[in-house]
Amino acid sequence: MKVVLVFDQGLAGLGGKGNTHLPLTIQKGGIGSYLMLKPHFEEIHAEVIATLSCGIETFMDNPDDVVMKLCAMIKKLNPDFVLAGPCFDFKEFSLMSARVCKLLKEKGISQAVTMMSSDNTKVILDYAKEIDIIKMPKKGGTGLKDSFVELSKYMDFKYNQKAEFDDLRKQICY
Amino acid sequence: MFDKLEKTLSPIADALSKNKVLVAIRDGFMITVPIVIVGSIFLLIASFPIQNWTEMLASVFGQGWDSYLYRVVSIAFDTVALLAAVGIGYCYARELGVDNKIAGAMIALACFLIISPQKHPLFVNEAGRAFSGFAFANLGTRGMFLAMITGILSVQIFAWALKRKLIIRLPDGVPPAVMDSFASLIPAAIAIVIFSIVNIIFANTHYEYAHNFIYEILQAPLIGLGKTHLFEVIYQFLSTLFWFFGINGPAVTNTIFGPIHKALTLENYNAAQAGLQMTNIYTAGFSDFFCNFGGGGSTLGLVIMMSVIGKSNRIKTLGRLSLPAGIFGINEPIIFGLPIVLNPIMVIPFILTPVANTVLATLATVFKIIPITNGAQLPWTMPIGFSGFLITGSIVASLFQFFLLFVDMAIYYPFLRVLDKKYLEEEKNLVDVKDEIDELSFDDLALD
Repeated sequence: MKVVLVFDQGLAGLGGKGNTHLPLTIQKGGIGSYLMLKPHFEEIHAEVIATLSCGIETFMDNPDDVVMKLCAMIKKLNPDFVLAGPCFDFKEFSLMSARVCKLLKEKGISQAVTMMSSDNTKVILDYAKEIDIIKMPKKGGTGLKDSFVELSKYMDFKYNQKAEFDDLRKQICY
Repeated sequence: MFDKLEKTLSPIADALSKNKVLVAIRDGFMITVPIVIVGSIFLLIASFPIQNWTEMLASVFGQGWDSYLYRVVSIAFDTVALLAAVGIGYCYARELGVDNKIAGAMIALACFLIISPQKHPLFVNEAGRAFSGFAFANLGTRGMFLAMITGILSVQIFAWALKRKLIIRLPDGVPPAVMDSFASLIPAAIAIVIFSIVNIIFANTHYEYAHNFIYEILQAPLIGLGKTHLFEVIYQFLSTLFWFFGINGPAVTNTIFGPIHKALTLENYNAAQAGLQMTNIYTAGFSDFFCNFGGGGSTLGLVIMMSVIGKSNRIKTLGRLSLPAGIFGINEPIIFGLPIVLNPIMVIPFILTPVANTVLATLATVFKIIPITNGAQLPWTMPIGFSGFLITGSIVASLFQFFLLFVDMAIYYPFLRVLDKKYLEEEKNLVDVKDEIDELSFDDLALD
């Protein structure tokens, strides 16, 4: 399974709040927080071909353009799956991820999923009916590793069209 | 092993960080922090550890110039229990879902004052009348644990009465402020009556006041624990161990350790004000400025090395971007960006470094290489060097901080090399394999 990651500047390991104007960036392979996901991805034989990252201020300054460009880049990369996140309780990153997943679905570009904590109430209310959003803890909360296990199961079940997928989705998504 | 450890730690973290009482106490004390920090700044100006400075100010403003500053200091330190009762009452009302949270804070304040000593027969004026009022001695450090208990119990009673609808209902059309005020009347009365009875009960024992009882039975033994050398080591160890699993360690550990740190810090302040020797090593200042530099895991040394000797682009870039925040004690960029969380390569130095700092700084204090930390509470973002001087009044303490930073680098170095080498190899492999991704650019992209 070929995967593309969509990160904000913090998760990409390209600075925290001091680098929120990071322009849209593409890097080969998995970077930054991918190291946390790597063992789970390896279990389902998922290979990250590229990581797309964007500063949250860059997104907030021009959200439509950023979402369009991220999706256009994903179309060129033609992955089997896109993971936008994990977003924790990061409000702007959650919105960016949800919008990317929605546009990818609408345009039929790729299977995609995002994950965020329940603190992102508005994004979850606005998007959970249209896209799958996996539950995860907020930054510093308990259960991070468990949520990554569920994410990898989700990707595996969906990509391989396993019968248990619907039950799993009901259990782990908002 | 990590899986088993996480399965053990997660329920503990959940129990502590979601416990309403502990969260209210932790957050209630947080509310008092700005006042204590402002008071600490006034304290530092009034007792700046350079004699020429204070003499110069005395020559300009006259003798006794500092008494005006000490009025602010006194409010910040000598009424800390009073402030805590209000903060904890407010936060516990919030945790219990009480709409009128400020009413909860007021009930906590009233109940704390009801059980505080108001008569002081030993203090008699020239006319032979005993002092009647509240003494700083009971509103400060000595009253801290009683304030915690009062803040919780009084609001618990208040919320219980509200939930049972023991309220006076006014007709529709009455302004909401009046409605809220009358709704709180009976719940407030129940809480106040109960605390009045508690006060009477204690008045008929040899303790005389709840203050004396709680101090002897609870506060003194807990502070005694905080004076043992294992206290700070366990605190630092657990705080970073939780972070490795992505759990905000201090948010969990401070529910237990925070009030003890605070009491130990204030005891040093009280000792200094009374002209006595300060004896507590493990104050909030010690924890903030000698155990961790650059955030949890004491990562400043790591970030400096990342930016200076990192060979992979990832490590070098992240190090340079994280350094400015790291100087001010913030390491969020590397917690998830390096990452530290769930990264088995970094777990050992991340946990070991603060513990090593704690042990070395304890030895340095015990052997009088650095002075004991004073009772001031400085912002934890205060950079290395400045913080050591201001919290001890000694330039040797500043130099010792840099020695610890050097030790931190030595601990992190071999692990950073391993991670850097791994990233460098990954980067090299990706560069060697030329494919269409190398040609892709976000410029002129269109979806349709």
